[in-house]
Parts: sequence; structure tokens; C-alpha cells
Amino acid sequence: MALLEATGVTVRFGGLTALDDAGISVEAGQVTGMIGPNGAGKTTFFNVMTGLQDTTAGRVFLDGRDITRLSVHRRARRGIARTFQRIEVFGQLSVLDNVLVAAEMRRRWDRSGPPPHEEARACLERVGIAEIADLSVAALPTGSARLVELARTLATRPRVLLLDEPSSGLNGRETQAMADLLRDLTEDGLAVLLVEHDMSFVMGLCHRINVLSFGEMIASGTPTEVRSDPSVQSAYLGSDHGAVQ
Amino acid sequence: MKLSPANYAAIALTVAGAIVMSALNWSGRPVSVATVGSMLVVGVTLGSIYAVSASGLVVVYTTTGVFNFAQGAMGMYWAFVYWELRFNRNWPAPIAIGLVVLVMAPLGGVVLDRLVMRRLRGTPLVLQLMVTVGLMLGFMGLAATQWKGDRGRNAQPFFGRSGGFELLGVNVTWHRFTTICVAVLLAVLLRLLLHRSRIGVAMRAVVDSRSLTSLTGANPEIISGLAWALGSSLAAVAGILIAPESGLVVELLTLVVVDAFAAAAVGRLQSLPLTFLGAMVLGIGQQFMRSFLDFPGGFSNADRALPTILLFVVVLALPQAKLHVRGTASAASARIRRVTPLSDAALGGLALIVVVVSWSGGLVPFVDEWTGTGVNRGVTMMITAIIMLSLVPLTGWAGQVNFAPLAFAGFGAVMFLKVAGDSGQAWGLLMAALLTAPVGALMALPAVRLQGLYLALASMAFARGFELLFFTQSSVIDSGAGERIASLHFAGWQLDGRGRGYLIFLTVVFAAGVVGLIALKRSRYGRRWMAIHDSEAAAATLGISLVETKVIVFGISAAIAGFGGALFGIQQATLNPSQFTLLLGLPIVLLLVVGGVAYPAAALFGGVNTILFIVIKERLGWSWLSALEILGPGLMAVAMVVNTRGAVTDMGRAFSPLLPWRQDAREQLRLGHASSREDEIGELGLDRPFTRDHVNDLDKHLGIVDLIPATPSAESRGGL
Ligand SMILES: Nc1ncnc2c1ncn2[C@@H]1O[C@H](COP(=O)(O)OP(=O)(O)OP(=O)(O)O)[C@@H](O)[C@H]1O
Ligand SMILES: [Mg+2]
Repeated sequence: MALLEATGVTVRFGGLTALDDAGISVEAGQVTGMIGPNGAGKTTFFNVMTGLQDTTAGRVFLDGRDITRLSVHRRARRGIARTFQRIEVFGQLSVLDNVLVAAEMRRRWDRSGPPPHEEARACLERVGIAEIADLSVAALPTGSARLVELARTLATRPRVLLLDEPSSGLNGRETQAMADLLRDLTEDGLAVLLVEHDMSFVMGLCHRINVLSFGEMIASGTPTEVRSDPSVQSAYLGSDHGAVQ
Repeated sequence: MKLSPANYAAIALTVAGAIVMSALNWSGRPVSVATVGSMLVVGVTLGSIYAVSASGLVVVYTTTGVFNFAQGAMGMYWAFVYWELRFNRNWPAPIAIGLVVLVMAPLGGVVLDRLVMRRLRGTPLVLQLMVTVGLMLGFMGLAATQWKGDRGRNAQPFFGRSGGFELLGVNVTWHRFTTICVAVLLAVLLRLLLHRSRIGVAMRAVVDSRSLTSLTGANPEIISGLAWALGSSLAAVAGILIAPESGLVVELLTLVVVDAFAAAAVGRLQSLPLTFLGAMVLGIGQQFMRSFLDFPGGFSNADRALPTILLFVVVLALPQAKLHVRGTASAASARIRRVTPLSDAALGGLALIVVVVSWSGGLVPFVDEWTGTGVNRGVTMMITAIIMLSLVPLTGWAGQVNFAPLAFAGFGAVMFLKVAGDSGQAWGLLMAALLTAPVGALMALPAVRLQGLYLALASMAFARGFELLFFTQSSVIDSGAGERIASLHFAGWQLDGRGRGYLIFLTVVFAAGVVGLIALKRSRYGRRWMAIHDSEAAAATLGISLVETKVIVFGISAAIAGFGGALFGIQQATLNPSQFTLLLGLPIVLLLVVGGVAYPAAALFGGVNTILFIVIKERLGWSWLSALEILGPGLMAVAMVVNTRGAVTDMGRAFSPLLPWRQDAREQLRLGHASSREDEIGELGLDRPFTRDHVNDLDKHLGIVDLIPATPSAESRGGL
């Protein structure tokens, strides 16, 4: 059974149908990809799964339990964590405190593990930004801020990690490190779902890929299957991302 | 327009409430065509005036995005100008009206837009709120300065008091007839302007998309000037029309804005037709209460409280605010995040205690002489500062705007009176704080659902509601009975509310409060508050419950304010409802924000300024300073458009490098100098050791990231 599953999700903004009967399933221990042209509805789908966006129709399940009606923070407490496409860090806090907030909160529903301070430090180590722990997060370049967001989600000990364009703003070396980290995390049993425009990153990393186009999930499969799918190629034709190699 | 189930529920509840209230307070006065008719005439007249005022609010808000808390105060000011021309200088009415409504008011609006409002674009909401509330106090202060003393002013209605015509046996005065006609005419004109004219369509588009508007060829600068001119004129019309009905009283006319808020809130601050509907419901509702209902003593203000109640109901029926995902990255000046250590706060507190002890002991004779009744002034200052402290965690850290700190303080004072009023036992202070906390949590109820502007409005409604309906109850404050609050018994001392011992006690309390708050800021609660301030969406996705977090911070804030209120009660010895009004609370909020709402030190700054204004006014005695205690905070708040950080930040930045133990502040200063030099040298930073990060930045900048393999040898070689 899939760890996180969404079925029949429909979201309308006035006249615009951002998601149209879309579904996805995310397995533990795998990296699942979601790709699609700009405006396809990927971020909206993330918002639906985390509870930030109300739906017109559709259900979301975690571990087979219906969580559609749960509020954002209750879903988080059950193990759904995410990062944001447009960075949402806590600008008044230092890098360490950004992560500490999450680590302290997590103790509310899961008292295991080291004390929050140690845990927060460990998360910073894990994403490789321990040396900037005391800096103000508002002064960081985009790449580092993304890593802060990632460290912050790790501090909640998530079961599912939703990453919205994690590699944008990172340089080549940092992107490589990110890919390695995500592989590590899935080996620990985490489920990762990521939205990405960087095709080589997605193709190299994901076990399965879902393709969203104008709110509809038009294809789903292994990277090889998706790459050769004609409907995927036509979805990308004319979009500014070029063809899927 | 579609109504949600919550809307229907709100409407049903309101109607049910209205029926129950009417049944309970029915006066038994006869209901006939004549009585109902005259109720409707007066009600519709009032509603017309509210509608005009509220439509000014809506026009400015929809076109410029700034919600003008000063709408009522502007109307008040222009009404005074009209009255001066018409009755003091005996100008003919048409000329006086034409000059005020068509020339002076629009001009004033344009000047305001140029000097102040334009700079507010894109600034944080808290700043926008404070600046327009500052403007409100500024206009009040200005009017009180220009037209002082002669309180019993009389604005004659148009065409005299009697006159008029009969309609179904009801006398309609010409003034009321004119008022209603003016409102109808303005409604039609506004509709035509906004929907039929090019400039009007452009005005409606501005807020949605500034760049789109400039594509259509309309100049946003001109449009925002026009909106303010129109808003100011509409305020003037409303002010001139209402003055003969309510009397030319600065506070009364200023508070028309609360009625206008309520009407505009019915239209969700956007729809003019709904705003007119809301205004009519209000006007007729109020007049109905005056005509047919009798309220027992404590509720005699019920008719005036109606807008407040409506505002509260509407705001609660609004759909739950969406958690906005909008991106928070912004450049900050400080690179190293320094949270004030407890030792610093404690040192500062000690220094303050030493200063106050020596000053109140007469060791600084000059200050004592200059401030007149020095010690009592000091007591006022410290109590104000303590009440201001309550807003530091709430507004400064958690970002929740609250214009009702004085309502909480008043509640605390009442609680102290009840539990320890006769004995003056110090534990009563703690009880007062504890009992006020739930009231704060109640205020968090709207805060949980609302954000920003609506929360600010709800807090104003809350403060006004407390002022009109709670403190007036004889079971709450029995002004007639002469209940007195005893002097404070603390650890064997008896501290008189105006004496030196009390001042020192307050200073110690304040210092302890600052240390406590800093400790709170460094705790997980403080971090959580700042997190929800910076991004509610991100905070919620980390498992933070916004409800719980807000309830806690509102509770703590209310407890601090309640504690401060109890201390105030001890100073005053007797309580009366006029001590805790909405308007008196506003300077407290403004002066704290001017100091820098996120810093406990700003509370001291605010307290000092509060008494400084009074002292300056008294010592100099110049007549143009006669309303300094409102004019001063108002103008200081308006001046925040120039310095948005708050005064204590700059003071701290200048002062802290001088302290021997603040190596980090000196370092920061040096960094600041270095980074200002960076612009001259260029972005390469060649004057510093060249680290791997610099290389990466450079690579990214040049777009050659993937061409160069990351070589460990590029690491920290100390310069190229
Ligand atoms: N709050 C909203 N109100 C109205 N329309 C919205 C809202 N949020 C998103 N949309 C629209 O829904 C569609 C899907 O947006 P979404 O952000 O989910 O796309 P995306 O796939 O994440 O795109 P990108 O690759 O650019 O990030 C877009 O057309 C967008 O304009
Ligand atoms: Mg997106």
C-alpha cells in the first residue's frame, strides 16, 4: 500500500481548473517525481496534500487513513513535511533557530530522540550547513535558504517529504549533494515526492515519475517509460523546457 | 454575490439577537405611523452619513490598498473648518461648503498622498496601520489645538432647525432631506465614476495589478492622488452633514469612523452597494434602539455600541483567512543573528533601577524641578511602559495587531479592585493578571480566523465595546459608590500609589518584566511566535497549531496588560469608565511602535515620551502645544514612514558599540562599514580572504558552475 495517496483531486480557482481529477501515490523508500510545464498545477497539488488548499473534490490518504479533513498542523504531526517553491523561512530567526522551532515542536507528538538543540544541529549537519548556524536566515542566498527549509523539515522526522523545486537556486555541487542526501533519506525508509524542472536531476534520482499537464495527470511510470511516452513529449512541446531527453 | 453557510448563520444569529434584545428592552412607547416614520427619517439620515463616510474608506482602500483609519478624523477636521468659515466668519453656506468640500479637502488629500501615503506602498501592514492611526490622532490634535476651549459649539443645520415638510404626518427637516439626497447623489456619481469612466475603471484595477494599470496608460501616481482627494472630500461631506446631528465634538466625530468601518466591513471593504446597505442597517438600527427600546443604566450606550457589535459579527462571519504562501526571503542588514542575552537585559534593568532610585531620591534635582510633580509622573511613566510591554510579544514578535491594550488594562484594574481593592495585597496583582488572561484568549478568537487588517479592526471593535458596554456597568465600576483602592501592601511595606516607594517598586517590576520577556523570547514560545509572524503557512506545516499559539500569546499579553492596569488602579485609587477608552489606548500603541515594537526597551522609550509630551506642554505653556499629548504621538507615528525600524534600533546601534562587553556590536559596525565599501570596490570582495563560498558565488554569477569541477584546492587560500 502506498504511504501517501491522493485520488480524484479537483481544484478550481474561479473559472480556472488548476487540478482536474488528478491522483498520485507515493511509496515509502522511494523518490517519486512530479513534473509538468509551468502552471500545470504541481504546487497546487502540494498545497492540497499538506492541507493549505481546499479542494472541490478528492481525497488524500496517509497510510490508508483518510486525512482530507485534517488541518495543516495535524497532517504535519502525522508525518507530512514540505518545502516551498518560493522560500518560506522564518526571517527573524537564525538558521539554527529555524530548525530548532521544528525540533521543539516535534517533541510534542514524538518524545524520542536527542534534545531539540542536538537534533537541530544534527539536521543542519545532515544538509551540510552547520557552519552557518548562527547567521540570520534573512541574509542568506536562495540556495542556502532552501537547505535551511530542508533541514527544518527533517527536524519534524517526517514520513513523507514533499519538495517543491529543491534544486533551484543551488549550484552544481550543491545539487549533487542534494541528490545524495535524498537517496540516503529514502534508504532510511522515507518517502520523497519532488517537483522539479531540472530533468537530469529528476531522471537520475526518481524511481517513479508522474506527469501533470493542465491539471491532469497524463502519465505515470519509471523514468524510461515516461521519457518515451508520446503524450508527455507533446505536453512539453512548445513549453520552454524543451523536450525530455 | 454568493453567501456561505457562515454568512447565513451570522445573519440568522444577528436577527435572532436583535429580536431577543428588542423584546427584553421594549420601552412600550407607541408604535404608529408617526413614530415609525420619524424613526425611519432619522435612521435613514444617519445611514446616509455613514454611507458617505464609508464609501470614502472603500474608495481609498480599493484603489490604494491603504485602509484609512483617519477617515473619521479627517471628516471631523473639515467639519470644523466649515464651521469656522460659516459661523465664526459668517461666510455664505454655499461658498463655505464649496471651498471645503471641493477645494480644501481634495487638496489636503493630495498632499497627504504625496507626503505620506505613497511611501507606505509595499511596507508591512503594521506600519500602514500605525501611520493612518497616527494621522487620526494628528487630526484630532490639530483640531483641538486650533479650536480649543469653546466646547459648546453649535453647528446649525442647513435651512434652520425647524422648517421642512410633512410626509405621512412626519416632519422631515430640510437638513435631513438634503442629507439623504446628497447620499443618493453620491452613490450614483460614484457608481458612474468607477464603472463608466476610464479613470474609474483604472482606479479599480490599481490594487489588483499595478503593472497592468500602467500598461493601460493610466498613471498610478495620479490615480492614488485622485483616490485620496475623493476620500478626503467624502469625509468632509460626511463630517459637515453629521456635525449638526451629533454636535461639533472632536472625539465624537472622529469615532464616526467606527460606524464607517462596520458599514464597509459589510461590503468586505470592497463593495459599495453592500457598504450602503450596511450603513442603512446601522443608521436605522441605531435609531430604532433610541426610539423604541429602553436600556437599563449600564447598557445606556447600547445604541452607540451597535456599530461595534455589527463590526465584530461581520468580522467573525468572514471566511477563514487563507494561509498565504508568498515567499519570505528578504535582505536583512544584520548577518549575525544576536538575541539579547539575559545578562544584558538584567544589566539594563539594574541601570534603570539605579537611575530611578537616585532621581526619585532628589539626587538629580534639575529633572525633579523641571518635571514638577516628579514622582507621580514617574509612576505614570512606568505604568504606561508596563502596559506597553504587553504588546511586545504580541505585536512585536507574533505580529498580531492589537488596539485594545487599555481594555485589558482596565479589566485588570477592575479585577484588582474586586479581589484586593480594600486590602491592597500584592497577590491581587497576580490575580488580576491571571483573570485578564482569558479575556485575551477571547480576543484571540478573531485572531485565529483573521489576519492583519481585519484583526486590527476587530481589536478596535473590542476596545470600543468594552468602553461602551462593560466599564459602564455599575457592577463593574461603581463610580457613584466611591470605591477606593487601597495603597499596595507588599512584603511588609505599604506603598502609596503616588509615592517614591511605589515608583521604585514599579521600576523593579518593569525591569523584571523586561528580563522575563527576553527569557520568553529566547524560549521555544518566543521562537514559535516569531515563526508564525514570518510565515503562518510554513509554521503550520511544521505541526505548529496556530490556534494554540495565538491563544497563548494573546493570553500572556492580556495578563501583562491586566497587571499594568491593576498597578494603574493603585495609582489612581478610584476607577471610572473614562480611563479606559479606545482613544486613550491608541497613543500607547503608537508610541511603542514608534520606539520599535519588537524591543522591550521601546516600552521605556514609549513611557518616557508619554510623560515628556505632558511635561513639555506644561512647562512651555505655549498655546499651540495645548493638545501635544495626542498630536505628538500622532505625528511621531506618521513620521515612521521615514524611519520604519523604530527609534530604539538606531539608538541601540549607536550606543551598544560603546559598551565594553559588546565586542559583537563593534564587529557588526565594522562589517557595516566594510559592506558599504563593497559597493566602491565591486562585488568581488577582493579585500577579504577568498573562501570557497566566494568562488561558488562567482561561478554562479558567471554561469560557469557546471564547467568547473569543484576542486578542494580552491578552498580558503587567503586571497587570489
Ligand atoms: N491562489 C490562486 N488563485 C488563483 N489561481 C491560482 C492560485 N494558485 C495557483 N493558481 C493558478 O493555478 C494554476 C496552477 O498553478 P501552480 O502554481 O500549481 O502551477 P505549478 O505547476 O506549480 O507551476 P510552476 O512550474 O510555475 O511552479 C496556474 O494557472 C496558476 O495561475
Ligand atoms: Mg509551482
